[in-house]
Amino acid sequence: MSPAELATLSDTLAWLAVVSYVVAAALFGLEFSFRVGWLGPAGLAVTVAGLAANLGAAVARGLAAGRVPWGNMYEFSIIVGIVTVAGFLVWVYRRPEIRPLGVFVLLPAVLAMALGGLVFRVPAGPLVPALNSRWIVIHVAAAITGSSVLCLAAVFSILYLVKDRVERRQRAPAPPLVAGGAKTADRVEVDQAVARHAGIWDRLPSADTLDELAYRTTAFGFPIWTFAIIAGAIWAQAAWGRYWGWDPKETWSFISWTIFAAYLHARATAGWRGRRAAWLAVVGLAALAFNFYAVNTVIVGLHSYGQ
Amino acid sequence: MAVELRPPAARPEPPSRRPGLGHTLRQAWREYRSMRTALVLLVVLAAASILGSLFPQEGISPRRVDQYFGDHPALAPVLDRLGLFDVFGSAWYMAIYLALLGALVACLVPRSRALVRVLRSRPPRGGSLDRYRTRAVFDTSASPEQAIRAARTVLRRHHYRVADHPDGPDPWGPGDPEGVPRLVGELSRGGPPVSRGELAAEKGYLREASSLLFHVSLLVLLVGLAYGKGYGYRGQAAIVEGQTWANARVAYDTFTPGRFFGLTRLAPFQLRLDDFTNSFHDNNTPKEFVSRLTALDLDGHPTQSQRVAPNRPMTVDGVRIFQSDYGYVPVVRVLGKDGTELLAPQEVLTLRDPASEWSTGAVKVTRAHPQVGLELTMFTGLRTAPDCPGGAPFCNDPRLVRPVLVVLPYQGDLQADRAQSVFTLDRTRLKPLGDRPLLLGLGQSGELANGLEVSFTGLKQYSVFTLARDPGVPIVAAAAALLLGGLIPSLYLTRRRIWVRATPAGPGTTRVELAGLALQGKPAFEGELARLAQQVERGTLDAPDRST
Repeated sequence: MSPAELATLSDTLAWLAVVSYVVAAALFGLEFSFRVGWLGPAGLAVTVAGLAANLGAAVARGLAAGRVPWGNMYEFSIIVGIVTVAGFLVWVYRRPEIRPLGVFVLLPAVLAMALGGLVFRVPAGPLVPALNSRWIVIHVAAAITGSSVLCLAAVFSILYLVKDRVERRQRAPAPPLVAGGAKTADRVEVDQAVARHAGIWDRLPSADTLDELAYRTTAFGFPIWTFAIIAGAIWAQAAWGRYWGWDPKETWSFISWTIFAAYLHARATAGWRGRRAAWLAVVGLAALAFNFYAVNTVIVGLHSYGQ
Repeated sequence: MAVELRPPAARPEPPSRRPGLGHTLRQAWREYRSMRTALVLLVVLAAASILGSLFPQEGISPRRVDQYFGDHPALAPVLDRLGLFDVFGSAWYMAIYLALLGALVACLVPRSRALVRVLRSRPPRGGSLDRYRTRAVFDTSASPEQAIRAARTVLRRHHYRVADHPDGPDPWGPGDPEGVPRLVGELSRGGPPVSRGELAAEKGYLREASSLLFHVSLLVLLVGLAYGKGYGYRGQAAIVEGQTWANARVAYDTFTPGRFFGLTRLAPFQLRLDDFTNSFHDNNTPKEFVSRLTALDLDGHPTQSQRVAPNRPMTVDGVRIFQSDYGYVPVVRVLGKDGTELLAPQEVLTLRDPASEWSTGAVKVTRAHPQVGLELTMFTGLRTAPDCPGGAPFCNDPRLVRPVLVVLPYQGDLQADRAQSVFTLDRTRLKPLGDRPLLLGLGQSGELANGLEVSFTGLKQYSVFTLARDPGVPIVAAAAALLLGGLIPSLYLTRRRIWVRATPAGPGTTRVELAGLALQGKPAFEGELARLAQQVERGTLDAPDRST
């Protein structure tokens, strides 16, 4: 196939992947809400098919451009989809009971890919000379993997915060009956019913499980992110003659590294374990997103390659 | 950071004593080296770093700082005084990370000592084993000694450190806090056992050691960074094709030495730019730019030669030389009305606009009366209307296919005695000369309104290099490797303690009990202990019968 045909094939496969993920997210969402038995396995099958299309899109893109398929923001978004979804599937393989959480993982992945496709799409083409190094293979691959895994971890932290809130409400003691006051017996009954059936959020895995998922995913992503920063520093030393120069991209990588380091410390610190640690992970997610979207497009720096 | 190895020393103060200054200081010190302080400082450091990306930084883009001063004349000086244009070099930023480093050291010292203490001592006895939540029990026909021997083999195979606690009553009794640090909360009550053979095993201290290595590496990394900053330098130099450049401070266009960098330390070498080539893709985006550089010693003997390109630096005497920019050097000659040479063929350095690939420069003819200044715009490939995209009247092909020099002449006083840019004219005392610009192709000449003849006699290119020496790089690189090497085990290794006890339970039967504690990875520990118990049981079955 010619490069042009490969590029077209890549685009088709990328949209196919997005559509599959949307369908799978819907199936998982229905499984999560209505607990229909066959929806989950169907969702899983569609997810795997979507992942295959996603991988195919990346490979075709790489062949079309004659280089690694992560040279700009659009391609980066495609790989983010692969890593996030594959990371989730690994968890489902090890813990089948978290399968319905797919809806919360696939939707952010779809969001990232659709944003990449609609806003940052560029035709497949060669790299600018500054990017032409074998370090792009290592540094950018590690950066995508690390940040995607940390995003997945932050999704678990957000779910933990939701579930923790539900659990704390359920544990809360029933309000006392107040004679002649606002709280009539009926009202108390309603309150208790609300507390007992905290909606579908009740069906999330226990807060402890989600906390552990978040921690173990972070513990997996953090060294990869550390390695990505080190590899970037080595590349910067080779390309610009300094390994660290507080370029906005470097600054924000450092910020997000510091926040996730704080998260890991927080989980071993009394008073920070649990909710506060989870909030740190959410802030870390925001820093990662800012680093990718805002630093590449709004802030002027050496990494403004994306558009 | 890992969990402390010992319980916090709970030394009850006598109630009558009033908390004095010493007490307050001790309390403050304890608070300072706690993980909570480190955590808060980490978050503060992250928040402070954000400021460094919101405002233009002096060290990265001084031009944008100047622009900010122009755009916000009232606000900028205030921000400047707060150090917001040099966040990462400001006193308050340094205060934050030094406080963090101090807390780190204050935390690392006791942790290292505790680790050494634990590694020197034997794994302690387990006390009463039925208190532990994670347990496994089986009966076997092997003797207690054989069961213990089998357990020792299995535990050693799983990299446990094993200590034998031979027969006899447990000297500490049940529930001794020294034996079971920090995990007392997990225990349930139980009676004292009758022990006949006991093993205590532990593993995972590499986790704590790795964590210490990670944090020490951070310190080493900062030392390397500071050392490299202090004793290194960075500079930029432009070299025209065919010219030789000597490594001396005056030859640099910009030069930023470290605080302790002595100028005498500039390595004695020269560089010659033999050739420069740049090429473009079909869509006019740059493909590559390559300089062929030769290093010479001070006597002019070539020592090495290399093609220098982005991502392909050259190293001469420990100085790294990076390709960073390039530009064009038109050669211009000016003759007077009578044919006298007012300006001998001069190489004019021009500034290249990377977006359009036009270059702009200036020629100052001080020997003309009145003085003449020429503003130059050089196109690499001037094209006109039908060949240009989007109906533009003219455009430029970045390839060097049709170099054209557009000359805008001025006449008057150049004010050449005042310091001014070589790339522009100071037009305050100049008037336009004639009513139209001169367009010169390579090798062409043209006449100005006052009769002067301007010739575009040649075209060269120049290449800009960044030269940098950073003696801290090896330290930083080693520290980064150790940091990563420490980080991974500190997150994945798990600390465990296991006790195995074998007691006679009736004729020909031995009861083997396994119990354990996990500091990390608790959910997996239950299964781990059960598998260990199975392996020990299999080991005792393989042993010869106790009657033989």
